[in-house]
Amino acid sequence: MMNDGLMIKGLSKSFNGFFAVKEVTAIFLPGRISALIGPNGAGKTTLFHLITGELKPDKGKIIYKGDDITGLPPWKIAKKKIGRLFQDVRIFKNMTVLENVVCSLFSSKEESLFFSFYPKKRRVMDIAFEKAKDLLSLVGLRKEENRRAGELSFGQQKLLAIARLLALGAQVLLLDEPTAGLSVSMRERLLELLKRIVAEDNKKIIVVVEHNMSVVLNIAHWVYFMNEGKISFFGRADHVLGAKEVRELYLGLSA
Amino acid sequence: MNYLVHIAIMIEIYIMLALSLNLVLGFGGLMSLCHAAFYGIGAYATTLFMLHFHVSFLPAVAFSLAFTAVIAFLLSFPALRFRGDPFVLVTLGFQIIIYAILYNWISLTRGPYGIPGIPRPEIFGFQITSIKEYFVLASVFLVIIFIFLIPIYNSPYGLTLKALREDEIAAESLGKSAFRSFLTAFVLAGALASIPGSLYATYVTYIDPTSFTIDESIFQLTILLVGGSGNLKGPVAGAIFMVVLPEALRFLGLPSSIAPNVRQIIYGLLLIVFMFFRPQGFLGEYKVR
Repeated sequence: MMNDGLMIKGLSKSFNGFFAVKEVTAIFLPGRISALIGPNGAGKTTLFHLITGELKPDKGKIIYKGDDITGLPPWKIAKKKIGRLFQDVRIFKNMTVLENVVCSLFSSKEESLFFSFYPKKRRVMDIAFEKAKDLLSLVGLRKEENRRAGELSFGQQKLLAIARLLALGAQVLLLDEPTAGLSVSMRERLLELLKRIVAEDNKKIIVVVEHNMSVVLNIAHWVYFMNEGKISFFGRADHVLGAKEVRELYLGLSA
Repeated sequence: MNYLVHIAIMIEIYIMLALSLNLVLGFGGLMSLCHAAFYGIGAYATTLFMLHFHVSFLPAVAFSLAFTAVIAFLLSFPALRFRGDPFVLVTLGFQIIIYAILYNWISLTRGPYGIPGIPRPEIFGFQITSIKEYFVLASVFLVIIFIFLIPIYNSPYGLTLKALREDEIAAESLGKSAFRSFLTAFVLAGALASIPGSLYATYVTYIDPTSFTIDESIFQLTILLVGGSGNLKGPVAGAIFMVVLPEALRFLGLPSSIAPNVRQIIYGLLLIVFMFFRPQGFLGEYKVR
């Protein structure tokens, strides 16, 4: 069980002497939705950057399924099936909705220049387009498949970005504020989707950075509370949200 | 009649240049300012292979293609460390250096004197001499380039380049290596630019470095900006428009003393107008940033 998880050991990253992430140790287990909560600037997004290779840690290790993936470039980490939803979504705006999903479905070999001339290219692409359509049905965007992705609403763009992660075959989904900026109905749709993803495949690991505590209570099995670069509390959602320090520091409630 | 055929040949040469530049700019989103340098390397390499080594036309084209590919490969390593404005400046640097080499390495290129007397192509014993035969030859090459590019434009590789153009960080987070895709695009674009170079050199039978200046690079870029990039029709439309426009302007009856200047001003105005009203060009699919 431990071997299937995403393990972070003593991870540190500082910028000009300021520790954005300090000695963070955590484990994210398959079949679970974990939440990272904490005030702005607590280091949650930096932690994601470190896991996905956008930033290189000063110290510490990231182990996924027993492999040390510390310091690999982002595209290699993505090939290990670790996917990420950015805070600002980052869909490919000038491509169609369908193309956004399709282009995450190819292997490195299929993406090479020379593969363009292989006779089986046509078939590989046809299969990919079919699969992309299925994924769009799953996230509820099938009707929009031929629209330019930039025309979608912000909520639809988030669903599209998640479809893209599923197309990548992501086993680990690192979601940075997935519900921020969404309408209530869109938020419900997205949370249902996340629950469904974990329920249908108990090998999948979902980690969300989330500021909405009702969302955290709704979906998270396990919560890490980060403050000033460190994890100061972790445990079941209701326990963490009930802790005195969390209530004072983060929720602004008196204990 | 010959005048029209000449224009058609020039259009074909510029379509080839625009199609190859389109791989880097239209698909990769990288604005390269050294495309005329690759065009020039192709022209000079073909000329020198034919004159000094007495290679016939087709092998000379193939050698030039390989030679230009090697140069593009070497240049891509420093260039692809950069994106955006710094990339533009690095490629501008290459353009300036390669022009300076063509201009100053007199023992090899005869520098500003140029190289006259470039032999006309001979293909399988058939000597191409008339302008109409040359038009057929250029058309054959254009068709071959199209046949070569269509599967690339419509492939996982093409989609990957587009994704990288749209958002490199997001594309890398989905498992795409920007370096690998951009490297192949840059090398392929450079290599393909050598083919119109070979054709141009043997068509006009005289080359000098002034055909391969930064102005020429900007002209090729303008073709894509006006026609639109990211697909196959934009470069074609742009090349036709930009080659025919100055010819059409001749019939305006401007006094010959000011005609070239007016043409330059119209080019400049055109770029500005396009940026205002149609930043994606006539038929392009995205706006060059």
